[in-house]
Amino acid sequence: MGTQVSELIVQFKDEAAKAGAVLHEVTRVEDIRDCVLKLAQERSVKSAVKSNSKLADEIDLREHLENAGVEVKEADFKQWLAQLAGNKKTERESIEQVAKLISVASGQDLDPDPQVLLSAANRSIKQYCIDADMGISEAGAAIAETGTLVILGNEGVSRLVAVLPRIHITLLKAQDIVPLMEDVFIKFKIRAGNETGQVVPSYVTYIAGRNTTADIPGAVLSRAQGPAEEHVVIVNKSAVGDVS
Amino acid sequence: MSRAMAKRVHRALDDENLQTALTRLLGLIKFVRQIAFADLDFDYLSREIRRIKEDSIANLPELVEQFKSEATKAGAIVYEAEDDDDARKYISTVAKEYGVKNIVKSKSMLGEEIGLREHLEKAGIRVTETDIGEWIVQLAGERPAHLVGPAVHKTMEQVTELISKATGQQLGTEPQAVLDAVRAALRQAYITADMGISGANIAIAETGTLVIVTNEGNGCMSTTMPPVHLAVVGYEKIVPAWKDAAAIFRLLSRCTAGMKMPVYVSHITGPSRTDAIPGPVLRGAGGPGEVHIVLVDNGRWQMRGTDEFREALYCIKCGACLNVCPVFASVAGQTYGYIYQGGIGAILTAFLHDVTQAEDVASLCLGCMACKAACPARIDIPRMVTQLKASLAEEKGLPFFKRIAYRRILRKPSTMDGLIKFGTYLQKPFIDNDLTIRGIPVFLNAITKTISLPPLARVPLPARLKDYSSPKPTGKPKVALYSGCIGSYLYPEVGEHVVKILSESGTEPYYPTGQACCGAPAYFAGDFEAALSLAKINIAALEEMKPDYIVTVCPGCAGVLKREYLNLTTSDPRWNQRARGVANRIRDFSQLLLELNSSRRTKPTRNLKVTYHDPCHLKRGTGIFTEPRTLLQQEGFELVEMADSDTCCGFGGHVVLSYPELSQSILKRKLDNIEATGVQIVVTNCLPCVLQIRGGLDKRRSQIKVMHTAELLATGFTRSM
Repeated sequence: MGTQVSELIVQFKDEAAKAGAVLHEVTRVEDIRDCVLKLAQERSVKSAVKSNSKLADEIDLREHLENAGVEVKEADFKQWLAQLAGNKKTERESIEQVAKLISVASGQDLDPDPQVLLSAANRSIKQYCIDADMGISEAGAAIAETGTLVILGNEGVSRLVAVLPRIHITLLKAQDIVPLMEDVFIKFKIRAGNETGQVVPSYVTYIAGRNTTADIPGAVLSRAQGPAEEHVVIVNKSAVGDVS
Repeated sequence: MSRAMAKRVHRALDDENLQTALTRLLGLIKFVRQIAFADLDFDYLSREIRRIKEDSIANLPELVEQFKSEATKAGAIVYEAEDDDDARKYISTVAKEYGVKNIVKSKSMLGEEIGLREHLEKAGIRVTETDIGEWIVQLAGERPAHLVGPAVHKTMEQVTELISKATGQQLGTEPQAVLDAVRAALRQAYITADMGISGANIAIAETGTLVIVTNEGNGCMSTTMPPVHLAVVGYEKIVPAWKDAAAIFRLLSRCTAGMKMPVYVSHITGPSRTDAIPGPVLRGAGGPGEVHIVLVDNGRWQMRGTDEFREALYCIKCGACLNVCPVFASVAGQTYGYIYQGGIGAILTAFLHDVTQAEDVASLCLGCMACKAACPARIDIPRMVTQLKASLAEEKGLPFFKRIAYRRILRKPSTMDGLIKFGTYLQKPFIDNDLTIRGIPVFLNAITKTISLPPLARVPLPARLKDYSSPKPTGKPKVALYSGCIGSYLYPEVGEHVVKILSESGTEPYYPTGQACCGAPAYFAGDFEAALSLAKINIAALEEMKPDYIVTVCPGCAGVLKREYLNLTTSDPRWNQRARGVANRIRDFSQLLLELNSSRRTKPTRNLKVTYHDPCHLKRGTGIFTEPRTLLQQEGFELVEMADSDTCCGFGGHVVLSYPELSQSILKRKLDNIEATGVQIVVTNCLPCVLQIRGGLDKRRSQIKVMHTAELLATGFTRSM
């Protein structure tokens, strides 16, 4: 790994820590499993929600946590359907199959009507997010300048997973760290739709450290309305080990 | 200034809770600000924001079209509201269509501007403010006291009581327990809400994107949990591209709360969507299925149409100006009587709300220019406040007494001298043995409660410098002394000191007869006609003997002579040329002395410590703050810096006359900072500052001396060398 990249990692870690995030570094993708599990067990986490994450899927993070007794719900709609179907990967199901899956999950007998199914899915998934102790996300990018994580998604759950549970963990590949905010737009080719045909995701959410409030007199208190803990697990192949 | 405003100022000053909490909050912001700005080129970045906002407002019609078209393409519904009434009606119609009963709302100044919450509540909808501070203020039925700390004026006991009542539990005053109760209550509000209302910090035209910033996380939740999201957005929030938003963010939070970045920044483009369910892409997946954007005019396009006030639209609502405003530090937000506060608030209030209220807000301005220096969009707020006062004066006419004063008395030095002479008789009974006035029963009595006043000089400066009415033909540089009113009638000895030092420094000083008041009182009250006539009198008097320099002892006067005379004479090229001639020759006393003796050897240390107070008009008005310090050090003094040396002493504007207690509260902080240095001499280069600080220290019975630099150099302390 070039010096420039390692400098960016150092800067990101430094800024994120200053903003109140807790940084963890692992050298191998597989090591994410133990890192997250340890965090969950130390904090008596019983249930977790997970939004779209290729990193997590690559190492079967959900199964790993479930085997250790942590209930994990997929919050991404497609992933959730796959989870319900017991599939490893999201597969194209028919509307009838989807209706069956959601009917079982929500304990209702639902018609194979997209709107009906969407409403039922919304109710279930939102409730998972409200009830979960831990939210797991993957950052599409991170900004070294300010220690900010960037989470993208078309579904609102990309945000709910990040703000509702009391613990939030973001997985991040070291090579996804960019120097400045402007570099994020370049990375995701965010510009006017009619020029590139590129569609901007509905939500791009930037998170810099842990939320706090000074509105209750006498003290600056952490955990205003979002999570009490904001963890970042960086997969850095050149790192020495978990530095947390 | 209205009676209601005076009452609110009093109430705020008497509120001990508010005073303590505000001091703490502003101190904290100042502290973190220094850290946040340490690694940053503020000058460069603010120029960048200025450029973005200038271009955006200039190209607003095209940007609006682009924003509308892109937002619509992304699935949002855009409505353009003409005014507050239109916006309110539209929004309540939308709410009715969805059968909305519960709304969660994140912070929006525009929402307050159009009275949105009250309107929806009247329509029977329950609206919950989701910023914790805003919620506390809502529960108390009040307005926010500060952008960062809306409920900063509330004590823990008051907050506990409000939250206990709202949540139906009996809470103790343990902050963490109260916060947990608040979080639980707000969580429930998000879950039950059928609509979320937000503002937008920025709107991006190229993709039709809304950008919303919060630190608590309430912005994310109130725009994601309910099935419908409605955003109220002022037209001025639109910028062309994502990179412009990034440039604004680089300063926004640093200015607001001293943070590098807000904790949460949300870019929202249309409703949430998913393709998980077979069939077409569906809206409303774990987030709103409907996004409404209401663009609000309510006076913004009119503002854009004026040359004088357009730049108020460059405001990014960061609150930097309020964080540095000495008046705000004393009275906080609720005093202003409307949501937009401080100098910029006067302008916004005038266009977006009500002119009479705007006049009230403007009356609180010291003209100290701290806001201008702190603004990340480089908005010349003091200029606009002056312009606003002028426009109002033009419309309504000045009060009778001011009119007489500005147009007749100040204009004629002879009338002024006569009046002063009369005054010296009247003041006699009130002068103490040490030539200080500590109390006057009627006229000015409010001021003498705050500061002791110097008596009117029995022999004013023009009479004292009779022999210096023209420069002797010595071939040395000719220096004209412009003394200003305070220099002529209250502290004539300073003018004599100046003449003495300048003579010793190899120049030919003289005192041009015929000089009059610089016109600042008229100019800053908006009486441009009277100011222009005074400008012509002074230009003629000052240029007559062809001086090489014109030295001043009052930076306020200097600023008027240097800048405003140019503005006042723009329509008359010949006078404008003459004004330029005067402007180019103006020098501050310290500046001139350094210029004359640039190679002067440093004098041996005098073992005398002094502290220096930066006059607003010298530092921010003319950019002179190193010269006075260099001179003092060259003269062998040890300089001990006071905290906030460049914060106004409280004499600025009409505040000292209209709101003496407010002026006193600002002065108090200055005096505390001076006393904290432990030195026995305060030096400054401005006679009004001398008057204020000397008067305040005298009331404290302090032994600390206040001196103009000329006075310090001319007295026994230093001339021994």
